Order: sequence, then C-alpha cells, then structure tokens
Amino acid sequence: MDKTNKILFKSSTKNLYLLRKFIEDKAKTFGFDESSVNQIILSVDEACTNIIKHAHMYNDKEIIEVELDTNENQFIIKLNYKGKAFDPNNISNPDMKEYFNKFKIGGLGVPIMKKFMNKIEFLHLNPDKNSLTLIKNL
Amino acid sequence: MEEFSIKTKQKDNISILDLEGYLDAHTSVELEKCFEKIISENKFKIIVNFEKLSYISSAGLGVFMAFIETARSNAGDIKLCAMSDKIYNIFDMLGFPILFEIYKEEKAAVEKFN
Repeated sequence: MDKTNKILFKSSTKNLYLLRKFIEDKAKTFGFDESSVNQIILSVDEACTNIIKHAHMYNDKEIIEVELDTNENQFIIKLNYKGKAFDPNNISNPDMKEYFNKFKIGGLGVPIMKKFMNKIEFLHLNPDKNSLTLIKNL
Repeated sequence: MEEFSIKTKQKDNISILDLEGYLDAHTSVELEKCFEKIISENKFKIIVNFEKLSYISSAGLGVFMAFIETARSNAGDIKLCAMSDKIYNIFDMLGFPILFEIYKEEKAAVEKFN
C-alpha cells in the first residue's frame, strides 16, 4: 500500500465516485479479489451516503475524513466526521418479507455493510466527533 | 466523474430503460426523474435493462421500490433484466427477487408482458 492513506472529501454525494476510486485502488493493492473489492467499495459508499444524508443533512461544507490502515490480514477503513452520532450496530436488519410487502424504501445501507464487512465499530468521541470503522479480513 | 445515463425506448406499450454506468446516491436522482416522467405519461409497463450498468448502491435499489407499487396498481410492472452477476448478487442478497421479476434477457421480459 502506498503512503497516501488518508483523504478528506466534501460531504456531497457528487464525491462518492472519488471515494470509491480511492478505496478500490487501496483494496486491490492490499490483495483482495475482485468480489471482495466490490463488497468493500459498496460498504464504504453506503456508510458515507448515510453520513452525508443523516449526519450532515447534505451540507457540503462538512468534511468526511477517510483514513486507511492495514495489518497482516485486515483492511481497516475509518470514517471521521462531525455531526449527529449514528451507530450501525444499533440498527437491526429489516424483516425483508415485511419490507417488500409494505413497499418500504431506504434503510438497506446498514444491512449491506453488515453483510460485507467483518466488523463495524462506532465511536462517538465528543458531541462533534464521530468515528465509524469498517473492517474487512483478507 | 463516473458517468450514468439512461436511454429510453418504447416497444409497443412497454417502456424500456437502458441503464449505463454507475448508479449511486447522486445519480439515482436522474433515474427517479425518469420514472416520474414515464409514470406521469400513464405508462406503467416498464422494463429496466442493466446490461451496461457497472455499479449499484442501495440508493438505486430504492428507486425501484418507490415505483413498483404504482406500476402494479395500474396493471403494469417493473421488470428487470440483463444484470451482470455483480449487480444480481446485490439484488439477490437483499431478497429483491421476492418482489421483482428478474430476467436474463430483455426479450424474455418483453414476452412476459405480452
């Protein structure tokens, strides 16, 4: 992995493609197969979309800091952001039968993240500093 | 910027949407507008062709959920077709084949409407 392990991007859905490219390059370099790379990209996209939407209310003056770390067999993505705290671990997966019966919309980002990542950690450091960590094992 | 585009065509009374590129929380707005336009023209038989779609996030899935009820309650449907394995796996993992008919080829989706 090269030395650029951190990027800052403006909290806007316009920038999701930049984020995906950054994650894709790093995950490939780390040695994941194509399927795992796709799972990581989608999980990070979903996490950042939730932050843009729910924590930052589409205010593109806000910033999301994406920090990557690795150890021998783990790819660790840390998303640091200000704003409303939201721990995906506190969200239960929806009952999909009911979801489809009632034609529900939204709420699928967290189940995707939980399915594709090995571990999700959330830290609410102070009223204005949150850290969401997504971990994928090689 | 990664691109997303929609080409629409009409085959008898069926509206066919060819999606291309990357469908995420940003580009899904365009797809939503496209569905709104079709529905506002009282066209409820819709096929979405995924052959050239490279990526989808849950924001894209939400668009299909937003219009399926209206389509079906007006004697129509939204049928999906020609997905790559990568795209199909996302739909399948979340159980979308319970609600949506997904075909390997556009031709099969058209025949089902007829």
